Amino acid sequence: MLLSDTDRNRRVLTAAAGTVLAVVMGLVLIIGFRLATQIRASVGNLQRASELQTYPELISQQLTALRQRLDTLEYTGHVHSELSASVSGFNSDLASLQRQTDLDSSALAGATVLWRNYTPVLAPVLAYAGEPYSDSATNSTLSRSGRAFYAHVRRAELFAAANSTALHDQLAAISTSLQAQTASAAARLRLLLSAGVLTVLLLGAAAAYLQLARARGERAAREAQEQTRDILATVREGFFLLDADYRIGAVWSQALSQIFGRNDFAGLAFEELLRDKVSSETLATATKFIKLLWGERAHENLMKSINPLGQLEVSVDNGRNGKETRFLQFDFHRVMGPKGVKHVLCSVGDITSSVLLSRELQEAQESAHSQLDMMVSMLHSDPLQISAFLETAAAGLKHINAILKEPARNHGEFSKKLAGLARELHAMKGESSALNLMSIAQRAHQLEDMVGELTGNTDLSGKDFLPLVLKLDELLAHLNGVREMTLRLTALKENSPTAQSSALAPRASGPAELATTLQTLAHKLSAEHHKAFALTLHGLEDCPPQYLSTVKDCLIQMLRNAAVHGIETDEVRRAGAKTEAGQVRAEFRRVESGFELLFEDDGAGLSPESLKEAAVRKSILTAQQAAALDNRSALALIFKPGFSTRTEVTMDAGRGTGMDVVAKAVYGLGGKIGVSTNPGRFTRFKIALPAVSESAVA
Amino acid sequence: MSSAPDTHAGRMVRLLIVDDSNIVRRRIERSQHFDDLEVVGTAANGIEALELARRTDPDLVTMDLTMPQMDGIECITQLVRMKPEVRILVISALADKATAVEAMERGANGFLSKPFTDRQLNEAIAELMY
Repeated sequence: MLLSDTDRNRRVLTAAAGTVLAVVMGLVLIIGFRLATQIRASVGNLQRASELQTYPELISQQLTALRQRLDTLEYTGHVHSELSASVSGFNSDLASLQRQTDLDSSALAGATVLWRNYTPVLAPVLAYAGEPYSDSATNSTLSRSGRAFYAHVRRAELFAAANSTALHDQLAAISTSLQAQTASAAARLRLLLSAGVLTVLLLGAAAAYLQLARARGERAAREAQEQTRDILATVREGFFLLDADYRIGAVWSQALSQIFGRNDFAGLAFEELLRDKVSSETLATATKFIKLLWGERAHENLMKSINPLGQLEVSVDNGRNGKETRFLQFDFHRVMGPKGVKHVLCSVGDITSSVLLSRELQEAQESAHSQLDMMVSMLHSDPLQISAFLETAAAGLKHINAILKEPARNHGEFSKKLAGLARELHAMKGESSALNLMSIAQRAHQLEDMVGELTGNTDLSGKDFLPLVLKLDELLAHLNGVREMTLRLTALKENSPTAQSSALAPRASGPAELATTLQTLAHKLSAEHHKAFALTLHGLEDCPPQYLSTVKDCLIQMLRNAAVHGIETDEVRRAGAKTEAGQVRAEFRRVESGFELLFEDDGAGLSPESLKEAAVRKSILTAQQAAALDNRSALALIFKPGFSTRTEVTMDAGRGTGMDVVAKAVYGLGGKIGVSTNPGRFTRFKIALPAVSESAVA
Repeated sequence: MSSAPDTHAGRMVRLLIVDDSNIVRRRIERSQHFDDLEVVGTAANGIEALELARRTDPDLVTMDLTMPQMDGIECITQLVRMKPEVRILVISALADKATAVEAMERGANGFLSKPFTDRQLNEAIAELMY
């Protein structure tokens, strides 16, 4: 805008200078022409005046010549006619001079007066036409008219002699005056021409200056244009203007082409820019938002706060025939004109890396948090318990390794491998979460997820297990880290003056630790699932050491099931007129045939119908098979591998691994497991274990 | 901003607070510190809000979006139809920008997301009052 103003000014100036030049040149030409005409006339007059100056002398000489011829009686005719010619020449020249109005009149008047005095004297001489001589035989004499003529000539000769100088001077004065006049006209002409030349020079200089300024302006404009182009080519954001029809203008930054992988932006509707890149809902919202930008309610801050394109996830071609997800940030600034919003300036930035970075940061933060949590929970738990868990976990990992190494060629073998892995991981997750070692529990959970995904895959090969192996390596490293930390914590506790003497003595994990573990887990589950319940334990001290590990696994699993499936929420319990806090009870006792483990909760119980539905949903049974099942067999479904009534997987239940692990462990010890329930009232598990030899008990 | 300054020349600005949470309603009522602002009513849902708006003729309405019976978007639509000059400040916990854009399109004039500070609230109200 600034440039075009200067440009206009310069054009006006150029036009004005041109006009002035034309006018000045016109004036110079007109005045010059008039002066030249004047000078030409003056020169003619000067010539005439110069000629006139010669006449008085000539007339005087001619009169003298005429008189001498009369004296010597010679022929006078040609002298007389010469005199006549002179007089008439003088008359005509004088008359011509008198016609010039601008002559010095005093000298001319003086000459005229003098010349008028000549007239009566010359008239009888000029008028004479007779024969001046009378011839006789012997000699010639003047005739009578000749004598009179002689007298006239003589008088005229004398008069001319007396007056010719005066007349000459007068005529010379005219000449001088004319000369002066011509010289002054010439000087004026010279002055005029000089002024003209000067003006032309000045105007030429002005034109040159203007031209220079214009060239400079053009260069500046070109440079500015170049700079704009450079900026648009270099800037990392995509910039463009939207017009009132929501279309992109003719200019945009290079980055826009890179971001969108196209070049045909001019006139493109904003909607088209995003079509196929975002969901139709997002597109609709974006279109509405763009329209709002033109409204009078759209303040910059308000629009910024509701900008739905502040972090837009788009899928774009990655140049290798595939799609990739990028995050784009759109910003909008209204460009105001005299009649409201003129354009909307849009900037688009690719913020993918910063979004990914912030996610990574968040993950790192979470991991740091979980490590901290783990340390805190380790401080709160018995290091011996943790050591015991770490030993179990190490054994578990060894087992997992062994499973992974087993050769597998067909689907059945792969499935078997996966089922084995799932059981080990599930057990590890259960124990670690009971000890509140959430970082381990989470890793085990993720591994379970991976195993779950592979289980759904019918076309497996060895390399599908690779990510699993990597993740397992990571778990192993983590477990080593935890082990190291446990050792340090143990050392710390042992060195502290308030160290308990019991911690000093190495001690195997026994029934007391099991009780603590279970109570901790119960507490945690209660808080996590927002269900209030109390766990009461009886007779765990009677559990023989060789059963302790299995009993622990079983109790952990059943406790989790009770918390997730059994105990109802507060509202449901209140509605069912039950005590607000649920009751979960575990009892270990000696019986005739050996040992018995009872586990019951006063929760929702098991519904055979729900179990059947779940079995159909999990494709464990067909609908017909399910319909044919009696209630007893339906309850037995919970011991099937892969069974769960939960539709979503949580840390504590839902994968369908669980009761099958319990059942398998019980069968492994030669025991039996049974379940009874009353829907809405209770679920009760009864596990029978064979007696052990006395020596082992001791 | 064209009609706003004229709506309360020489008289109190009448504020109607619409939110299903009693706590939020009280919070807005107590946190605003304008001498020329008068709370003429509080409503817990869209239907109540429309009824109150009919009776109390508010200049300014703070509007929650997620409410039982009639939600904020519908309420804004009907409120604007009934009283085109009313100015509506949406105060919502919805992080969903699409809903905010929708509210603006239906005629809301401002947007404040929960949770908000007293300062943010007063700034948002001031923007619509003056």
